[in-house]
Amino acid sequence: MPKTETGTPKMKPRPIVRLGIFLISHSLLVCVVCCTAGVLALLLLPLLAKNTYISENALMPGSASSMISNRDISEANRLASDLSGLNFEPQDAAALESRGILTKYMSDLGAEVSYHKFHHKPNQFHPLHFFSSPDSTSSVKNFSCSAHGLNTVGIIRAPRGDGKEAIVLVTPYKFGKRGATYKFGKSGAAETLSLSIAYTVFSLLSRVTWLAKDIIWFVADSQYGEYAPVEAWLRDYHLPVFTGLGTLNADTCIKIDDLYVFEQKSIAQRKISDGFRRAGTMAAALILKVADRNELLEDTLNIYAEASNGQMPNLDLINIVNYLAVHRQGLRVKVEKVLTLLDSRWLEILGEIFELLGKVARSLNPGWKFGISAADYIEGSATLASSLYYQALGIPTGPHGAFRDFQVDAITLEISPKVFPHNKARHNEFLLRGGRLVEGVIRSINNLLEKFHQSFFLYMLTSPSKFVSVGVYMIAFALLVAPLPLVAASLYADANQLDLGVKNTKSTPTATASDELDITFRSWKWLYAAREVFLIHVWGAAVLLLPYFICQIPNCSPTSSTVIWVFLSMLSLLILYLIGVSPSTHVSISQPEEKGEWAILKSATISVVFIGLLVMSVVNFAAAEIGALLLVPMCLMAQPLKLDMKVGKLRSFLRIICNVVLGFVAFPPAAFFVVKTIFEGFDSIDMGDFWNWMESLWAWNSATYIYIGMVHLPCWVLCIHILLHSC
Amino acid sequence: MEKKKRGFWRWLIASVMLRLILIYLPKTFNLASRPEVSTPLVSLRRLAEGYWLKQSSISPYAGSMYHGSPLLLSLLGPLTVKRIEGQPNHLLCSLVFVIADIISALLIRATGHTLQMAYRQSLNSLDIVDLLKSSDLLSSGDIAALVYLWNPFTIAACVGLSTSPVENLVVILALHGACKGLVPLAAFGWVMSTHLSLYPAILIIPVILLLGYGPDTPPRKLYLQKGYGKNGDNHSSDNCGQQETNQSKAEVTFSWRPVIHFLFWSSLWSAYVLVLCSISVKPHGSLWEMFQRTYGFILTMEDMSPNIGVLWYFFAEVFDFFRSFFLIVFHLNILFMILPLAIRLKHRPCFLAFIYIAISSMLKSYPSVGDSALYLGLLGLFLDELADMKFSFFLLCGYIGVSLLSPVMHNLWIWRGTGNANFYYATGMAYACLQIILVVESVSAVLNHDRKLRKLSVTKLRDGNS
Repeated sequence: MPKTETGTPKMKPRPIVRLGIFLISHSLLVCVVCCTAGVLALLLLPLLAKNTYISENALMPGSASSMISNRDISEANRLASDLSGLNFEPQDAAALESRGILTKYMSDLGAEVSYHKFHHKPNQFHPLHFFSSPDSTSSVKNFSCSAHGLNTVGIIRAPRGDGKEAIVLVTPYKFGKRGATYKFGKSGAAETLSLSIAYTVFSLLSRVTWLAKDIIWFVADSQYGEYAPVEAWLRDYHLPVFTGLGTLNADTCIKIDDLYVFEQKSIAQRKISDGFRRAGTMAAALILKVADRNELLEDTLNIYAEASNGQMPNLDLINIVNYLAVHRQGLRVKVEKVLTLLDSRWLEILGEIFELLGKVARSLNPGWKFGISAADYIEGSATLASSLYYQALGIPTGPHGAFRDFQVDAITLEISPKVFPHNKARHNEFLLRGGRLVEGVIRSINNLLEKFHQSFFLYMLTSPSKFVSVGVYMIAFALLVAPLPLVAASLYADANQLDLGVKNTKSTPTATASDELDITFRSWKWLYAAREVFLIHVWGAAVLLLPYFICQIPNCSPTSSTVIWVFLSMLSLLILYLIGVSPSTHVSISQPEEKGEWAILKSATISVVFIGLLVMSVVNFAAAEIGALLLVPMCLMAQPLKLDMKVGKLRSFLRIICNVVLGFVAFPPAAFFVVKTIFEGFDSIDMGDFWNWMESLWAWNSATYIYIGMVHLPCWVLCIHILLHSC
Repeated sequence: MEKKKRGFWRWLIASVMLRLILIYLPKTFNLASRPEVSTPLVSLRRLAEGYWLKQSSISPYAGSMYHGSPLLLSLLGPLTVKRIEGQPNHLLCSLVFVIADIISALLIRATGHTLQMAYRQSLNSLDIVDLLKSSDLLSSGDIAALVYLWNPFTIAACVGLSTSPVENLVVILALHGACKGLVPLAAFGWVMSTHLSLYPAILIIPVILLLGYGPDTPPRKLYLQKGYGKNGDNHSSDNCGQQETNQSKAEVTFSWRPVIHFLFWSSLWSAYVLVLCSISVKPHGSLWEMFQRTYGFILTMEDMSPNIGVLWYFFAEVFDFFRSFFLIVFHLNILFMILPLAIRLKHRPCFLAFIYIAISSMLKSYPSVGDSALYLGLLGLFLDELADMKFSFFLLCGYIGVSLLSPVMHNLWIWRGTGNANFYYATGMAYACLQIILVVESVSAVLNHDRKLRKLSVTKLRDGNS
């Protein structure tokens, strides 16, 4: 950051200092240019996206021919018919039975089978969870005995490997049909289908000789959602608990243990270990699902990759899946899109403008190829918007999120078949395609010598085969936040009447003693502003903690929770204002100044926003980008309304309007409802939605929640404070 | 004044409460294992390990786990194994650290009062009383003590189970003793702090200056000028010169007596400490092993696990055959700055000590936030002198930004695996730059302040004469 002051005006400062001073003194212009450029750069991102390429040479996707045979498929079909032929009347028995069948099939293939029991914990607000690393969250207390699930894990040991590495294949499957609403029907068939695909691959892999990494087939008991079992298993896999748990279980969960024992007996002839089975470190994980909706045109593969806090798996993993799916299996690959953007008018216009620009550029010089067609642009920006949104939320889009917390790259593959496969040949072809895809991916990963590291971790997808890397999208963000330190410095300099050497003020070197006395403590004047900013941030932290107490209220609907939350926040702000910002402290220091104390307050606010956005951009880039789009204009515009009222010109009137609009939009709940209205229409608005949204944020330990409470909200309050300042 | 005093005690109690609350929180913050808080030298976990080794009659220095003093081992060691049912694990040690923090704060406060008294006296003797008006409001000792107590770095070091509160305490003890002229105390503090963490050894210069000249004063030249001005009536230059020397002698003489005392006492204390140490390590090792494992460990930078300093990365990268050369260069870096600073700031020994501490905490081999806590606390002592320091706001923002970014970058590197060591090291570099700016700006602010005093006294004299 360039320095605000120069030492002595007589001496000609160095060029870099002069440049800094130049920028600071023209901060208004710099602001407008940088912010516009920042927004423009964001809109340009779909244009700047590069084609993906496979960066790690060892992967060699598709170099070997597929080995899946009809035998594997008929075996898989037998498993599927065994599973669906069960009698589902007593639920527990059915669960046992299906697990038994699965175990039998697995161990017939020569795999080591083990069960993993986990307890489902309902999400609770825990204020300290945000800061803890995954290893310290081994709080096994307070689980309810009724909510438990049993995962089945099958491990094939690699004939060529040393057992130090493993590849994980996850298929969620509902064993116990506990949910009253659940009916075994179409979705069950889809799950069985995903099991058959996985089994096809598994049975092949049990025979092949080239395997260098162990294969873990993890059938997750998904009655409590797909994420919970995977997460519990991963935690037990990586962080073994040596004490406490066993005795605890023995005391409280006798029934379950009985059940467990019974189950063990019923399949006693099988080779089942009751201990926790491990393979080596995980190189990658694939979560395989078959969607229960059908596609009209062709078999489609949906890729989900976003993990917690906007983390993404290594791009190479997506690349090989995309490459194999498109070029070998002829599947249509899709990533998530914001569908509403697809038919938005302004995006179309923008796309056409960019297309036109591209054509003009190409006519000038055929070597310039940056234009893309308008349709591509719209498609790309819809995908990019969804990528941004899901990364910004910080909530994983599937069970793959659990793997990323342990530094394992994982993606979810959701395959949607064209027609529901009653047709036998079609069914087998679908199995073959899915199986070959998974086989190819596993074979590629099997070739890997090191961890995935070659390709990008920080990127956003604009289509399955195009991405924007960190070096490109950071520019948009950097342009957006660059004015902040400049404006802070210029405001600070103005308020302190510092001589920047450019305003042609001849500083009198022979300043009298009394003048110098006045300067004393001027450079510490910001302490009062800093105190105010600090108090507001403490308030922000308090607001963040309030849901913890609101959750304790029984039978509270989301709407009433929202109302209580808002009310308590306002109340605490009022109390803080009465106690903290007492006017007596200001008397001693406030002397007639050019811009008054609001300028210093604004300067402090902007500095804090800058720091907050910077830290957030490292934690979760997408959240910082969206936050910057909302916060930066508001912070830069903020000026006391009273001043503008006094002037009464058109320009100040415009500024008032801008300020009010920005002040409304940047308020988090307001922003939420505005976005919701735009995308879902006005009638679907409910106060409780905001609570639910925030609840999902804290339930998933999203850093966005902290960002909203510790950066966004306090800065919004400070900006409003500046707007209403009585100067 | 009475109200202010009560305010001070209230804030002090509040800070103690905060510490106790943080100690009783479940250890989800994992402060004790953060690289910013616990380095190999100050980590209490290592101390507990060393104590365990000692209990099983192995040398506590075996296995390169413990690198602290054997005295600290026998002082804090028994506390690490004592568990109280239903209480946090290291409660007793934490309480010791809290007490150390409180004593440090009180000592800083007393030192501040002494310094401010001296400052006022010197201003009075220079007849520039109007400068006092602004500083009447603030008592720099109180503020410095509160800054020390409420600094998040101090709190982190205290709660995060590192022994740096104790090390800071002995440093402050030395400064306090020197300020008050309590020679044995100063000698004890200096010897103990050198024994505990080696780097405070350079504080011998400010301590000797403090004992010789007394607390911080404006430059001596001012008194000479003053003497000259007072006797400006009689224009005989010879006479004037005579009187001037007389007067200046009365004001600023380097008194050797306390210095000799100090040297005597410090040799006494060091002999005592060495004897105690040798008794403590006798059954398992020798004094030589202790020196190798403590001072040697500090000087040769054996442990290159990441910390907030700048040396670990460098020595992880550098070729082995250059290693000793760069070790010498980096350690001489601190020594190079001692002499020029001592000459320039010899009239302000306390401030000189602050600068030395800041520089060594920037360049030392295993810095932690506890070191920053010490010099940031001492910074408050020079409130009057630093009143027009530049970049203060920038520095605050920088400190906040770096202390937020550093854990995030560490997380990115270690836990997420998407960043690398450069990310974390970058924050270390930024932190070092901030410290450099702080040192440079505070020195220039103090020099400017001296210039201002001279200008004031000159105008006073001119007014008086005319």
